[in-house]
Amino acid sequence: MANNKMLVGFFVASESIFFVMLILAYVNFHNSVTDGPTAFNSLDPVRTGIFSLFLLASSFSMWLAGRSLATKNHLMLKIWILVTIVLGAIFIYGQASEWFGLIDQNITISRNVFGTTFFTLTGFHGFHVIVGLIMLSILLGLALFGDFKGPKSDGVECVSIYWHFVDGVWIVVYSVIYLWAFL
Amino acid sequence: MNIWQVLSSTWNMEPWVLITALALLVGYGITTGFRFTKLSALYILGVLIFVLALVSPLDYLGRTYLFSAHMIQHILLLLIVPLLLLLGIPKALAERALKIEPLGSAMKVLGNPIIAWFLGVGAMWVWHLPSLHNTVVANDNLYIVQQISFVLIGIIFWWPVFSPVESRRLSPLVSTLYLSSACLGCTILGMLITFAGAGLYTAYLNPADSIGILPLLRGELCLTPGVDQQIGGLTMWVPGCLIYLVASMVTIARWYGAPEESELIPNSGAGRLATASHKNK
Amino acid sequence: MSSRIPIVPENIKPLPLLKENEGMLSWVASVDHKQIGIMYLLASMVFFVIGGIEALVIRIQLAQPEFGFISPEVYNQMFTMHGTTMIFFVVMPFLIGVGVYLVPLMIGARDMAFPRLNALSFWLVIFGGILLYYSFFTQSGASEVGWFAYAPLSEKPFSLNKGPTYWVLGLLAVGISSVASGLNNIVTILTMRIKGMTIRRLPLFVWMILVTSFLLVFVIPVIASAFSMMLLDRLLGATFFTPAHGGSAILWQHFFWGFGHPEVYILILPAFGIISEVIPVFSRKPIFGYEFVAGSTVAIGLLSVGVWAHHMFAVGLGNVANLYFSLASMLIAIPTGVKVLNWVATMWGGKIYFATPMLFAVAFIIEFVMGGLTGVAIASAPIDWVVTDSYFIVAHFHYVLYGGSLFAIFAGVYYWFPKFTGRMMSETLGKWHFWLTIVGFNMTFFIQHFLGVMGMPRRTYTYQDFPYWGSMNLVSTIGALILALSILVFIWNIFVSLRSGKEAGNNPWHAWTLEWATSSPPAVHNFDLVPPVRGRRPLWDLEHPDTPDEPNAKVV
Repeated sequence: MANNKMLVGFFVASESIFFVMLILAYVNFHNSVTDGPTAFNSLDPVRTGIFSLFLLASSFSMWLAGRSLATKNHLMLKIWILVTIVLGAIFIYGQASEWFGLIDQNITISRNVFGTTFFTLTGFHGFHVIVGLIMLSILLGLALFGDFKGPKSDGVECVSIYWHFVDGVWIVVYSVIYLWAFL
Repeated sequence: MNIWQVLSSTWNMEPWVLITALALLVGYGITTGFRFTKLSALYILGVLIFVLALVSPLDYLGRTYLFSAHMIQHILLLLIVPLLLLLGIPKALAERALKIEPLGSAMKVLGNPIIAWFLGVGAMWVWHLPSLHNTVVANDNLYIVQQISFVLIGIIFWWPVFSPVESRRLSPLVSTLYLSSACLGCTILGMLITFAGAGLYTAYLNPADSIGILPLLRGELCLTPGVDQQIGGLTMWVPGCLIYLVASMVTIARWYGAPEESELIPNSGAGRLATASHKNK
Repeated sequence: MSSRIPIVPENIKPLPLLKENEGMLSWVASVDHKQIGIMYLLASMVFFVIGGIEALVIRIQLAQPEFGFISPEVYNQMFTMHGTTMIFFVVMPFLIGVGVYLVPLMIGARDMAFPRLNALSFWLVIFGGILLYYSFFTQSGASEVGWFAYAPLSEKPFSLNKGPTYWVLGLLAVGISSVASGLNNIVTILTMRIKGMTIRRLPLFVWMILVTSFLLVFVIPVIASAFSMMLLDRLLGATFFTPAHGGSAILWQHFFWGFGHPEVYILILPAFGIISEVIPVFSRKPIFGYEFVAGSTVAIGLLSVGVWAHHMFAVGLGNVANLYFSLASMLIAIPTGVKVLNWVATMWGGKIYFATPMLFAVAFIIEFVMGGLTGVAIASAPIDWVVTDSYFIVAHFHYVLYGGSLFAIFAGVYYWFPKFTGRMMSETLGKWHFWLTIVGFNMTFFIQHFLGVMGMPRRTYTYQDFPYWGSMNLVSTIGALILALSILVFIWNIFVSLRSGKEAGNNPWHAWTLEWATSSPPAVHNFDLVPPVRGRRPLWDLEHPDTPDEPNAKVV
């Protein structure tokens, strides 16, 4: 049914407004930090950039999973979903270690507006990635039980739309937080 | 100088503008056989506004003194002129033109709503990056490139909604989403410019006052850099958005007038709709 | 009648078990859109009574100068909870609930596209309501910061009690619920229509629900993210809206009104839809200018998201911004005026039958135009500076929300009650309800325009004994008591009519939309047979095969 994909499409559009507001809050305070940590003096764009590549790659592997389903290649479907989960998990590990590193330096959400906006924006994004990982794990479980006959499955396609969305949001978030500060 | 002297003495008959306009008119005349119709009136109006936007005081003020004047010019060139030009092209002519390669295949790619959307909204955002804009107003060649790119990108942006060839148009509901999401893009940019605080565009802070009107602008007309930038941002935000809004009302009105068969969403549209709204964030 | 053919498309997935739709369990477990719709209506009725009691407490406190009926803290809680309840837990659930009940029936579907999501939406409203009202039982009571919770008052150093936290949590739950029901409505309307029900033939109520749903889907996230930020501020010490720590209180206002203004249209557009259904039926004429009513709704929807800054004229955005937003806000009067003209033109020359729904619909037009006119006046920044945060504003938005949304809600209840229950509501009690409402409503709120112009600030706990202030406030309070009486009559009417109302039959009003083609109340599967849809008034076409609305329409 087109129903499910339409629902996810509009849901994702609705979510993107949510992120637009978080990004606007970040942008609003970008130049207003006078002392204390800022994106420029406390973040590492290269390290996060490398972890971002894992998330980008996971979008690609998710696309391959969809292709495998379309050609009824069930083994590759499972493998690509697993790869997507692993890549997403690596990204989340990167985010977590970045957060812990910052918190060790006493840069927290309540330190100043940079901390506030940075942790809120990346936190909500990370939350969406984790939700995506849970959904992908469910997909993987269903795939292992042989639930997807192919060539089409709303379940796979809807999670895929969501996952690409999460990925797309990160490109914007990374550009706004890291590239803007360092370029 | 008083305001009338400023407005009458700052006309700048740039040859490239006049040549382009002439070429546009002659080219149109040759291909349509020099008949005056309702369509050609729209087209001629478009060319006229194009010329006015680029030779009138708007151009001079917008390059040297006033960001707000630049913004009015920008809205005219990106949203109004291309729309009128596009509306003025007869269907038959457009169909013939699309058969010419590489124009046909180029429009197939560029006329894709997602690409057109990103080009249209991107043109606004990229050209208004403060550092880029400050460079552009100081560089003649870059300036000409910018103005021409506005018109060309404007045509590409309007193409999925107002293409003379109906089969290239989006369905009304998708058009409304296309336009309202573009409106969101321009709202956010307008908002950022409006509330950014004076001095975002340093070129207008202390312009070289070669014709001595700065006291008039700053003093008598109260167009301080802060106010000027606010007018600019709000012009993009409010009237800019109204253009998108009027356009989506037109698509809906056009759909009401269309014969019964055409539905708001074509049968195959559901999937495309989902992807379109997905990409247009 | 022979042209009735069974053409309801089966849901691709089988409908949930029928046994869930029977007995007491159905009040918890049902996913039937009609049951959920009724539950929405009952919930909003309960909250309406609660919000109404809060309003009465406010009015009694203001009945005379320097009165001490309640303490200032309780007073602040009352107006905060009154506003929040009425907007998020009365008008929104009611309009969404009527939509949930009627949209599938009007488009000839068996249920919503996502019945379980529908149930989730409903239960989230209840959950949100419980969270909100639980705050009364916390140490220092409910939120005291007004329904728009301006920062920094709503922030930590100024509001140390837990009230605003519960308030935010409750509204977040309602927000998620609204997005979910908006999504559900959009997909239902776009994909579940019966054959022949093109978008151009949708009943106007469904059109309005569609536009409202788009607003919900794209506007609620704005406030959801602002609420999240406020929650982080309050719980984790983030500094979004606390100027003392580098945050910005104005940012909250922008975010709040970025949602708040479209919210006004979320509250009024479905009301427009109800009126657009009632007026043609009781004038015995098709709606005048269907295209304009539908198209102007789209225009209102799009315009509404761009004009929020007119709520912030007093903030000091600068003259230029005020000018632009004044003009843009006034533009909304155009599509709204188009609608009013269409309704009046529909009545013009019609055979008007003043049953209670029609009385409320006509009164809606008059009261709403009043509220609209004061709205155009305060869209002008200089006027707004004079009357902002005064009782003039209170009068204005009550004319729009009570005289607008609630009058339409009453019209809708009287109009669809026979469909919901199979029984007619009592006309006698209905007319009592109507006239008491008219007297009480105008007595309460009209005089507040003058109080506002005379300088009485809104949300004030009490006032000094200035000339006429006491007597004018007393008039307003008496009006509020009459209004309360009218609500009692209304509830009594529902109660009596449920038990002993006249049998309604399928189509007591001789209306033309599809919901009247089935039994009252409809069976769980909605329709046995659906008349073919060849125009905007399928039942008219069915009864008058010789003079159909669209003579050239193809038979499907």
